[in-house]
Amino acid sequence: MEDVIQLEKLTKTYGTRRGLVELDLAVAEGEVFGYLGPNGAGKSTTIRLLLDLIRPTSGRARLFGRDPREHAVSLHRRIGYLAGDFLVDPRQRVGECLSFLADLRSDVPRARIEELAARLDLDLSVRVKALSKGNRQKVGLVQAFMHRPDLLILDEPTSGLDPLVQQTFLDLVREAKAAGQTVFMSSHIMTEVEAVADRVGIIRGGRLVALDTVARLRDHARHRFEITFTGPIDQAALTTLPGISDLTVDGATARFALATEPNELIAVLARHQVASLRASEPDLEELFFTYYQPTEAAKEASRA
Amino acid sequence: MPNVLTKTLWDSRRSLTGFAVGTALVGTMYAGFYPQVADGAMGQAVEGFSPTLREALNMEDIASAAGYLGSSVFGIIVPLIAVIYGIATGTRVIAGDEEAGYLDLLLAHPVSRTRLLLHRCAALAIGSGILAGLVLLAMLAVRPSARLETISIGQFAAQSVALALLCTLFGAIAITIGAVTGSRAAALAGSAAIGVLTYAANTFASQIGADSLRHLSPFHYYIGNEPLRNGFQWADLGILTATIGVLVVLATAAFNRRDLTS
Repeated sequence: MEDVIQLEKLTKTYGTRRGLVELDLAVAEGEVFGYLGPNGAGKSTTIRLLLDLIRPTSGRARLFGRDPREHAVSLHRRIGYLAGDFLVDPRQRVGECLSFLADLRSDVPRARIEELAARLDLDLSVRVKALSKGNRQKVGLVQAFMHRPDLLILDEPTSGLDPLVQQTFLDLVREAKAAGQTVFMSSHIMTEVEAVADRVGIIRGGRLVALDTVARLRDHARHRFEITFTGPIDQAALTTLPGISDLTVDGATARFALATEPNELIAVLARHQVASLRASEPDLEELFFTYYQPTEAAKEASRA
Repeated sequence: MPNVLTKTLWDSRRSLTGFAVGTALVGTMYAGFYPQVADGAMGQAVEGFSPTLREALNMEDIASAAGYLGSSVFGIIVPLIAVIYGIATGTRVIAGDEEAGYLDLLLAHPVSRTRLLLHRCAALAIGSGILAGLVLLAMLAVRPSARLETISIGQFAAQSVALALLCTLFGAIAITIGAVTGSRAAALAGSAAIGVLTYAANTFASQIGADSLRHLSPFHYYIGNEPLRNGFQWADLGILTATIGVLVVLATAAFNRRDLTS
């Protein structure tokens, strides 16, 4: 299958400030890709490079195998873009704004705009300035999805949306996926990406620090255990388990997190009397935080 | 598909209407004073001025219709408002909309930067044309009652075309500064400073013995050869048009080369 997005050692520096550092990434056709990272990690920089709003310092980006700058106009026909903060001239009416944007592309039927507006409960007759932030974001959603683009580039698409509309948004993404459209979606919220993404990339400080399927990331996530023993607790055996952390012992109950397969744990438990065992769902949000936080080594480096 | 052009004009309809009607009204108001001036009241007042000042203010021939309109209406007040319109509009074209965050969305659509800039320059030129056209219509409307018949319709038209080009030129200066820097403040301040300096250069160049300086001023090509007396000054109009063309080419090249500010 053809790669829709292909980044090779893509680097962007703003003066002395680093935006992106030698980013390699490929997103396949039909894939929903979640692009995660804290604010300022380089998510928007990547997206603005893809859209030719800014130009790389070095390295290269390819969309549908073509250069984003050289083929900007023809590529943009195939792309729907939504910024996290959707900004348009607030004096115009919603319908007027959407018709204008639709006219910049050909073949967007009026009925499609009305259908999307109805699904999102968006009034086309009011002026943009009368809309709340969430409702303004709906205008952005309509313009990004209305022409059924081959590639959707969504930069923090759900910011300001209420939970109900977030669900509608996720439905729209699922429909796009079902129709074979590719989705590149940035976010700093794991759960919304988890719900729809095939693969997730985590970016921090302009570098890609994790790239995997949601399922495999979940496997590597720390599972939380809460085990109550009937007999005495062999704390020493527990502390030597590989991948264990946050061990607390409260009477007959031990609580800890485990970042590896639980085989060794089971071996330890087999030698004890266990009254109850609870293992919680791996917490992706927590995994996400471990990637977000600067590593000890990085902290040392920044101190030096 | 000229919809960027029409949309730009449509979005600016309120400011354009305001400026055009305002300029025409102020222009006719001043033109309406001409009969009193011709009757000598103003002439006596100006006689009290020193010859240097009279020359600077272009008031040596205040009693004739062309002299009066050339020094007051078309010499100061109308070009002032028109240039302000041009600078305000030109600032918004790139830098203003860019800082407001509107350009990201437009340029993520199938619209090249060149097309966006050219359409918006065209909208500026049309807006300037509408403003100057309304001034012309207003002048022709008061021409009989304000005793301005010594100026022909063609001479009024010549001055109005020069006005439209002057207005477009200052808009193009603001567009170019905005296209190079992406800064609204730089576009506004830069073009306003150029406006003040070149107006001063045209007005006071001969007083400070630097007559050639006025050839650097757009105001010289706008009114220096007195279209109200001499009709169309094709060379001057050509220089204004060529300058606009050069600025648009520069702006396009610069805008295509740089990163958009976020």
